[in-house]
Amino acid sequence: MVSVRLEKVTKKFGKVVAVNNVDLEIEEGEFMALLGPSGSGKSTLLYLIAGIYKPTSGKIFFDDRDVTNLPPRERNVGLVFQNYALYPHMKVFDNIAFPLKIKKVPKEEIRRKVFEVAKLLRIEHLLDRYPGQLSGGQQQRVAIARALVKEPQVLLLDEPLSNLDALLRVSVRSELKRLQKNLGITAIYVTHDQAEAMALADRIAIINEGVIQQVDLPEVVYNRPKNMFVGGFIGNPPMNFVEAGVEYNETVKLIVGEDSVWLPQEYIEILRKLKLQKVVLGFRPEDVLVLKDERQVEPGSSVIRGEIFTVEPMGREVLLTVMIGETMVKVYAPPTQYYSMGDKVFLQINPAKLRLFDPDTTIALEYLVKT
Amino acid sequence: MMQLWDVEVKSRKIEIVLILAVFLASLPLILNYGLLILSSFSTEMVTNLDPTSFRPTIDNWILLFEGRLSVTGGVREDVVRYTINTAIVALGVAGVVVLVSVMAGYAMSRMNFKGRSLIMQMILLLHAFPGVALIIAVYLIFRATLPSDIELARIYSFAYVIVARAALEIPMSIWLIKGFFDRVPWEVEWAAIIDGASRLRVWREVMLPMVKPGIAAIAIFAFLAGWEDLIYVRTFLFDRTLATYIESNINVEFAYMPLLAAAGTLYLLPTILFFILTQRLLLETSTGGIKG
Amino acid sequence: MKKNIFSTNKVQLLIFLLPAFLIVLLFYIIPIIITVYVSFTPMRNWNIDKYFNVIVGLQNYNRLFSLITRDPVARQVVMNTVVFVAITLAINVLGGLGLALANFFIDERVSTGFRTLWLLPRMTPIAVYGLLWYYFFHGSSIGMLNSIAMSLGLIKKPIAWGQEVIPWGPWSIIIIVNGFVGVSFGMVIFYSALKSIPRELIIAARVDGASNWKLTTNILIPLLRWHLLFVTTWQLLSLLTTYAHTFLLVEWGVVSRTYGQTWALYVFNTAFGRGEQDQGLAAAAAVILVIFGAILGWITVRALGFNKMITKPKGDI
Repeated sequence: MVSVRLEKVTKKFGKVVAVNNVDLEIEEGEFMALLGPSGSGKSTLLYLIAGIYKPTSGKIFFDDRDVTNLPPRERNVGLVFQNYALYPHMKVFDNIAFPLKIKKVPKEEIRRKVFEVAKLLRIEHLLDRYPGQLSGGQQQRVAIARALVKEPQVLLLDEPLSNLDALLRVSVRSELKRLQKNLGITAIYVTHDQAEAMALADRIAIINEGVIQQVDLPEVVYNRPKNMFVGGFIGNPPMNFVEAGVEYNETVKLIVGEDSVWLPQEYIEILRKLKLQKVVLGFRPEDVLVLKDERQVEPGSSVIRGEIFTVEPMGREVLLTVMIGETMVKVYAPPTQYYSMGDKVFLQINPAKLRLFDPDTTIALEYLVKT
Repeated sequence: MMQLWDVEVKSRKIEIVLILAVFLASLPLILNYGLLILSSFSTEMVTNLDPTSFRPTIDNWILLFEGRLSVTGGVREDVVRYTINTAIVALGVAGVVVLVSVMAGYAMSRMNFKGRSLIMQMILLLHAFPGVALIIAVYLIFRATLPSDIELARIYSFAYVIVARAALEIPMSIWLIKGFFDRVPWEVEWAAIIDGASRLRVWREVMLPMVKPGIAAIAIFAFLAGWEDLIYVRTFLFDRTLATYIESNINVEFAYMPLLAAAGTLYLLPTILFFILTQRLLLETSTGGIKG
Repeated sequence: MKKNIFSTNKVQLLIFLLPAFLIVLLFYIIPIIITVYVSFTPMRNWNIDKYFNVIVGLQNYNRLFSLITRDPVARQVVMNTVVFVAITLAINVLGGLGLALANFFIDERVSTGFRTLWLLPRMTPIAVYGLLWYYFFHGSSIGMLNSIAMSLGLIKKPIAWGQEVIPWGPWSIIIIVNGFVGVSFGMVIFYSALKSIPRELIIAARVDGASNWKLTTNILIPLLRWHLLFVTTWQLLSLLTTYAHTFLLVEWGVVSRTYGQTWALYVFNTAFGRGEQDQGLAAAAAVILVIFGAILGWITVRALGFNKMITKPKGDI
């Protein structure tokens, strides 16, 4: 097992910059998710680590060994593809044995290792079949077995679950996590599905337009997004953003339309330092209390008024789309109340959960003062 | 698989008219091929459409394999040998074409190098190159390199005609097989490379098995090209093939016409056979993968 | 791991391309150079030792042009080529389009049979295909055309169509024989293009009430315009250079030599034919054909944007 380190890695395809000046370190035995929308450069980043692409500039290290210019076969990585990329003309056994055969491992040892890894992935009974005769989930396991059999230093996974149906995906997901922890292997996992990344990874690296946006623990990424992109990308529905003015008096408060929003002490201090006139207020749909009657509003708490635009019952809760001035926000409300289009509502945001962003740089204010 | 191509209310009447029209246009072909085969089993040619001249017999075929040109004539023609010669040329052409094209086609599809696009366009142009302009110089080289030993020269003429004829097929075959390589997902190749295989090994163990239909297609086309050839075998080959046999005997006074019909039918047999067996493959790839 | 010389990318690329490169070098590039060279020598009767090192400048070209302007046989070659190429081209493109459209509108199972049948001439051994038409146009009563014409009362005795009905007899024969071969190229290309048209487009037109004719003229043919251009230029090129079938027809006397010989066949017969073989003159005629072909081919490849069909390989390995 090794750690993987990328130093100022850039990859250009002609004029298109797919990966832009990326610094990233994945620790030994860590499960790192590369999360981003399609076209963000996350797969390119993975293929750079695998050696299929060569960086335009920058360096890649496995531990302290510079692998930047090594061909893939000298990197000893295992790679699982989205479409599995099994060799259709070889039986499952030969598929898994292929990497060992190339390394000229003795026949007996190949057999032993293939059976071992097949047992680990519970596909021993499939070894005699061709990939075409297997279900998606089974092909998936074969692909993982083939990647693991050569005991790679790093396991790379490129959206390995996205071709599975929704139910299977959840069960394979937890299995994958258990497998990685048992083997203690360094794993890098590319996905566009934030739920998958949250569930699997030790840490998540969010990437957009070739640039790493934030690398952190899943809960930090969720609760303290570094910028508006991360806040908007993680969570379903994503974080709401509302533009607000700032009023500096004896205290500091936000002005949204006619309403004032009181801030926690942390943000008051930051704002006094930054002296911004305008900020973007971010909050998650579940961090809001929806009140239908002004009389329900506790004195001293701050609310923003709005008008219901759509109502979507979800079972456990109701998802409301609310217009605040010209801005649309989504909030969850308990289904115990009856809501209808055009109703006036009062949104009381949990002050501990609200986030503020700089409208110019889109960076969260607390990260602005830290750096 | 059933697929809806058109609404199902289209006029049945128009369809029948169209079928009839195409059938009428095809009639000369149907008659030509049909009557050739029929004549080979008749004592007289039936190409005059007169049913009274059809008197069934298999004598033509017996005479053909006995190597006689007429019932009475004493000239011996070793038709079995000619058939083998034709097959040697056809198989040789197929072998050379397949070997060269699967190698170059892979590189053209999967390897990046300077001038790749230009080379591909040049290859396409070579396919359309006037063959008659080449054959003069190709024959000149043949004359200049011909061994003086007669037995050696015979073998040399076989080898030369095979490679020279294959050369005409190779440009299109490279394009065709490249199309097949293009359709293999990149991930499969990458998987093999990450597993530690060299490009040569990826090509041999992973890619070739995945383009088997393409290899079959170019092999069949090359075989048929070698099989049907007349100009190259008559120019280069010392030995006779079915083509030169028919060519040289058509105007021989004493040659027995239905016997030549039998020779023609024999010569046509592999073509028909391939057509029936690989109809779909031929229809889909017969224009060399150019589907623009 | 040990560094293997065969594992570097450049070496592997060379290995893959080497056989094709050798073939192209030996059977295209060197022959082209030699052909051009021979066109400047008085080479005849394959007397390489005597003539290969003699340079006569443009003499062969001068001879060729004076033959064309003065010799009726050579002038006829030009005439034959123009008529043959123009009419056969029209037949191949329009016939191919017609066949493709007809097959498109009829039941798939029936059309598969037809399309296979029309592909047969292209694959049939040249000698057998020649044999078929030899019988068809035969100058005696066993000839199919003669027996049909006689039973219809159009003629009284058999006619050698390719020898006696000058010049349209031999012209018609070479056009028909080559047309049946060439038409399948357009048919296959147009048919597969028609099949790849999104079927929603056709269904939508049907829902709008389009008849076969309206569908064809308003939707199908406009969508085929690039294919039409490609087939036209490509067929033009191959008709200019084809000679094998016509060679047999002339050799067997189905058509007259004077009125059946096109430029490409003239090159072949001058170099390899009976009597005195004049390779110097043939090479000069071949070079002119090559120049025509190269220009046409280059236009085809460029104008139709073939480089767009060549996708770049992925990865840096």
